[in-house]
Amino acid sequence: MLRWLLGRLARAAGAAWLTASLVFIGSRLLPGGPDQLALADASDLSRPVAGTRPAATQQAARLAVRNRLGLAQPIFYVTRTAGQWQWHGTANQYHRWAKAALHGDLGYSYRDGQPVATLLVHALRYTLPLAASAAGLAVGLALALGLYLARATGSVWQRLVANLLNCLQITPLFLLALGLLLLFANPEFLNLLPAAGQAPGAASHGQLAAYWLGRLALPLLSLVLAVLPELTLPLAAGLRQEATSGYATTARAKGLTTRQMLRHHALPNAVIPLLTTLTDLLPTLVAGTVIVEVLFALPGSGRLLAEAAAAHDYPLVVGGVLVTATARLLGLLLADVLYFLVDPRLRPTA
Amino acid sequence: MRARPTPLRPRLATWLALGWLALLVSAGLLAPWLPLPYAPATPDLLHITTPPAWGAGGPPHYLGTDPLGRDVLAGLLAGAQRLVLLTLPAVALATLAGALTGAAAGFWGNRHLRLPAAAATWVLAAAWWALSFPFQEVLFLLVGVSFLLTLVTWRTARRATHSRRYTFALPLDSLVLGATTLLGSVPRLVLLVALAAGPPPSPRQLIGLLALLAWPEAARLVRGQMRWVRAQPFIEAARASGLPPGTIWWHHALPHACRPLLAFAPLSLAGLVGLESSLAFLGIGQGPDVVSWGSQLATMRQDSTAWWVAVFPGLALLFTLLALQKMAAVASKRVDR
Repeated sequence: MLRWLLGRLARAAGAAWLTASLVFIGSRLLPGGPDQLALADASDLSRPVAGTRPAATQQAARLAVRNRLGLAQPIFYVTRTAGQWQWHGTANQYHRWAKAALHGDLGYSYRDGQPVATLLVHALRYTLPLAASAAGLAVGLALALGLYLARATGSVWQRLVANLLNCLQITPLFLLALGLLLLFANPEFLNLLPAAGQAPGAASHGQLAAYWLGRLALPLLSLVLAVLPELTLPLAAGLRQEATSGYATTARAKGLTTRQMLRHHALPNAVIPLLTTLTDLLPTLVAGTVIVEVLFALPGSGRLLAEAAAAHDYPLVVGGVLVTATARLLGLLLADVLYFLVDPRLRPTA
Repeated sequence: MRARPTPLRPRLATWLALGWLALLVSAGLLAPWLPLPYAPATPDLLHITTPPAWGAGGPPHYLGTDPLGRDVLAGLLAGAQRLVLLTLPAVALATLAGALTGAAAGFWGNRHLRLPAAAATWVLAAAWWALSFPFQEVLFLLVGVSFLLTLVTWRTARRATHSRRYTFALPLDSLVLGATTLLGSVPRLVLLVALAAGPPPSPRQLIGLLALLAWPEAARLVRGQMRWVRAQPFIEAARASGLPPGTIWWHHALPHACRPLLAFAPLSLAGLVGLESSLAFLGIGQGPDVVSWGSQLATMRQDSTAWWVAVFPGLALLFTLLALQKMAAVASKRVDR
């Protein structure tokens, strides 16, 4: 077990590292180059009229920026210039980045010079509670709705819920969140839950909690609605499948109601395939936080990543990708371990 | 499985879905020739945030204008054009690549595709020459070894067709699975945001990017199906009759392994449409002059009173996705029968 776990862990770490490396090198190889884009963005204000500076000054400024950002070095251990392969040893950007990243230093943001790790940790303090509570709520709701849908009553409400879930499944999150925003946080229509606005400055804990609760209600609702169909529909199908099996008939024959049979006998079996869906939930939630945080103006990691990408702030983008990939692969590993614990039939033999 | 399939009876919803998709595709294809009074990206600064109007006085903005003065109807058509010319080719490319790689990985697995050793050295020599690595002597050595190996395997191959000497197994399954795992390690939207962080990619680059992100799902689906097809009696019969593996794969196994794609392709298209709109909504990887449904919806955030700016593109997007879902449901019913 331990050996298998360690092997999986090593492979997951390798995949996360490879993804981040590819994004790092890709971002350095892009046409335009990060330094030119950063320079263009940074000098928009300082330059009164474009093109009035002499070319030599511009060249010198570009070189200074390249040196400051560490972009003057070659990108990788070997590079090819003018048809010739050159070996640079350890004096290259990738080596420096990798060495620093292994020491926990993800570099500095191009925009404000803050350490990337600090920025990410600050942002994750908002995102993790949001995503975790969305996941918890969604799982709870999915269990309830799945049990409700599995009962074959064929009522109008049941069909309505099933159709609604089907529609929700295909709706992209940003459309859903935008709809909620326009319906419930619109000064022109219903301003129930204001999505923007300052936190009360000097306020008691109760007021502050009420403020954040109102602020987070819509983002939470959008995230829960976005992942709910993927959890509920397979669970309901699995429960219906289990309800046709022999042990379900036996349970009904000894006098249990359908609800009792589903909850105590069918649910433990139908929940096992849900574990895979649960681990797929994590990427959906991470991608969801990107959209939800941008739309509802929350200072989380998703918004940080989107803004960094829009501003060509590559150290931040690469750091965000590394963190996301690690979380995702750890989630996959967790699913395997959970399978191991829940279902002895699936234990690896080796 | 029934012997004779009953003719498909499309219901009203199916006809509606088909009609909407047909309208969308024809609008997207004919957009450059439609007699519209306004271009999608040029602002009409005299009419900013005007509601839909049909009155007289200059060419009307049928569906109103957004806070930047751009015509909503022209933007809708530009979005449809983008869908037809950008997302549709991306899905076609992704489905094709996924079907071929997944089917090859599922059919041959890790051990059954044996290539002559000469092929490896020839490829290595060609790569050495193409990339112009240093040490030309190695190149000469590689060419010599390849030539010798080719000669030797030529003779053994003539003596015994299925000789395992001088061959190596290509771990196709591991390669494909590894690539899908690598691409799946980061959520698609995050990866797309990270890769599009540079200067706005050209349409062709964007098609490539979307296809790159979408092919693993199709590949995994076809691979799973192919592992089931591979064990079927008719494949065994084809092997026993002495057909070469390539023929069996192409003529007998591939058509069966690709059947689930019929239902999967519409869903894949819906996923990519949503992904592309999300990216446009975030305003990443797009020039400021490109209009699509996602970017139209994003302008809504500047003025929340202009309901027409959000409602029309939002409904168009929703109808498209629901129609695609309906098509997938119809197709999966056909496949299962």
